[in-house]
Amino acid sequence: MHKKMRSPPRRLHANVTPVIKWGARHLVAIVGVCGFAGYLWLFTRSSADEPIRSDGYNYYLYAPSWLIYHDPTLEALAKDWYDGAYPGFSGILRWPGTNRWSNRHPIGVAVLMFPFVIVADLLTRWSNLPRDGFSFYYQHAAALAGLAYFLAGLAVLRRTLSRYFSPAVTLWTLVAITWGTNLFHYAVYDGTFSHAFSFALICALVELTDLWWAQPRRWHAVTLGFVAALIVLTRHTNGLFLLLVPLWHVTAWRQLGGRINELWKRRGAVLAMAAVAAAAAAPQLVLYKATTDRWLVNTYAPHGLGFTFLTPHLFGAFFSTQRGLFFWSPVLLFAVAGMFVARGWARQVLAPSAVVLALNAWLVASWMEWQYGASYGHRAFIDSLGVLAVFLAAFFAWTSEHPRLLPWVAGATTIATALSVVQMIQYWLRVWPVRDITWAQYRSLFLTFP
Amino acid sequence: MTRTGLVACAGCALLVVGAAYLRDPPWAGQITSGLRPWEKDRRLGTPFRWTAGRASFFVPREARVMTLPMRAGFPGPNGGPVTVSVSVDDRWLADIELGQPEEWVRTPLPLPGHATSRRFRRVDLHVSRTYVGVFILGVQTGEIELDRTR
Repeated sequence: MHKKMRSPPRRLHANVTPVIKWGARHLVAIVGVCGFAGYLWLFTRSSADEPIRSDGYNYYLYAPSWLIYHDPTLEALAKDWYDGAYPGFSGILRWPGTNRWSNRHPIGVAVLMFPFVIVADLLTRWSNLPRDGFSFYYQHAAALAGLAYFLAGLAVLRRTLSRYFSPAVTLWTLVAITWGTNLFHYAVYDGTFSHAFSFALICALVELTDLWWAQPRRWHAVTLGFVAALIVLTRHTNGLFLLLVPLWHVTAWRQLGGRINELWKRRGAVLAMAAVAAAAAAPQLVLYKATTDRWLVNTYAPHGLGFTFLTPHLFGAFFSTQRGLFFWSPVLLFAVAGMFVARGWARQVLAPSAVVLALNAWLVASWMEWQYGASYGHRAFIDSLGVLAVFLAAFFAWTSEHPRLLPWVAGATTIATALSVVQMIQYWLRVWPVRDITWAQYRSLFLTFP
Repeated sequence: MTRTGLVACAGCALLVVGAAYLRDPPWAGQITSGLRPWEKDRRLGTPFRWTAGRASFFVPREARVMTLPMRAGFPGPNGGPVTVSVSVDDRWLADIELGQPEEWVRTPLPLPGHATSRRFRRVDLHVSRTYVGVFILGVQTGEIELDRTR
């Protein structure tokens, strides 16, 4: 069944103009050049903030603690930098009962940043800059790590999409996902936050899951286990996306029994996957135990934050001017439409994707701080863009078979993407309030520049 | 030579040139760490920057004496003085006591005479106490005065 699904329809590759072929092949490099140019523009301005700030500070903090202070407890860094305390904005506090520093953000981003921070540390020694974990090279290594992982994620997504969609559809999808949403912003402006990292990991999960079910190899299972652990370590709630692995290609309830049989047949690989995932995630559990005396803990609890599952802010999360996903990234409405018109491979992965996307949306909308603090667009949905991209591509593929619709969809996609880019630049220039944007504010600031 | 070999050679050459450039980058003099943006004293109009518990900046190697105006801003533990430990290129230079929170202290510090092949010397400050708020504040530092003649 899967071999049949893996072979892309060849007719879609026919009559492709060289420009589209070249664009699809080199898009990641083009996005990389644009991303780096945007980064230079943003962080060479005299009014620029440092790249390691806000949530990015919390995510990054483990890396200098491990590498420079050789201290996983966060005590040494606090002593050296802050006379034994942490700044209020970080929300890092001593856990009641154990009196140890508790960082509400997990270690995954720091793990992924670590190779970049090692290079920064070597350069810092070489250039005689302060080896304090926050000087020039560390700041930019942490932020550029986000950009690098975003590009890697985009490359993986292109690989997945190109197997099943034409170069034109792949190109349109990648452009719309990159610039029609807030993904580019979170790779360039807020690269130290977790979202660019999570995007890359979810793209890798989709690709590896697809490969594993199509042509299982030993390295697929091991890599899947490792990626699964990194997903959970980067953002615990993204563990939901791991449901994609057992449910991939399941299209109806009645297939669940057969799927369990298939998983049992592959129990060796499943065990290897689980063992690698458990081993890779273990350091976080050990850290929780050492910090809070519990293996599993809600580190947001002391801040009075949690979920309100019975009263989710679904309208706010999807359509509001404050943070609405479709208000700020309207091109994603085409991804929703794609779920209804998906065919072939996209249709076969629709059910598990819809389950995961719906659960994730409910979870995001149920978070008490459903706006997710200061941000451009709704940042919590960035992590799921690797899955939504499949259905955006499915919609574009369906459109390509309906020539009368093509100019309308192309026009709407172009306008939605251009609007998203303009609004992102407005955010960069601090035109938009960072939260609680009202309809009146939106109207008065629409397309205005300082 | 094959194309791969050429690319490898070019990569190595780039690495060597980059490393040579970054050993003593000309922009290092503008690098600071642990210092908040410039503010102005409301009463005197004096520009200053808050440090965190530690801060670093660079001075040109020709400088013989550095005067860094510092002010505690608020008292140390039990109303006592605040001590700022100054080191240059990882060597301890002096401890400066800031007694009165509102008083600027200007202590001329002779910089070490040992030769350096770099354009700039790195100055590190460690503050004995901090104020914990939304941000962590150490002491206020003014504009550095350098004497290159002695």
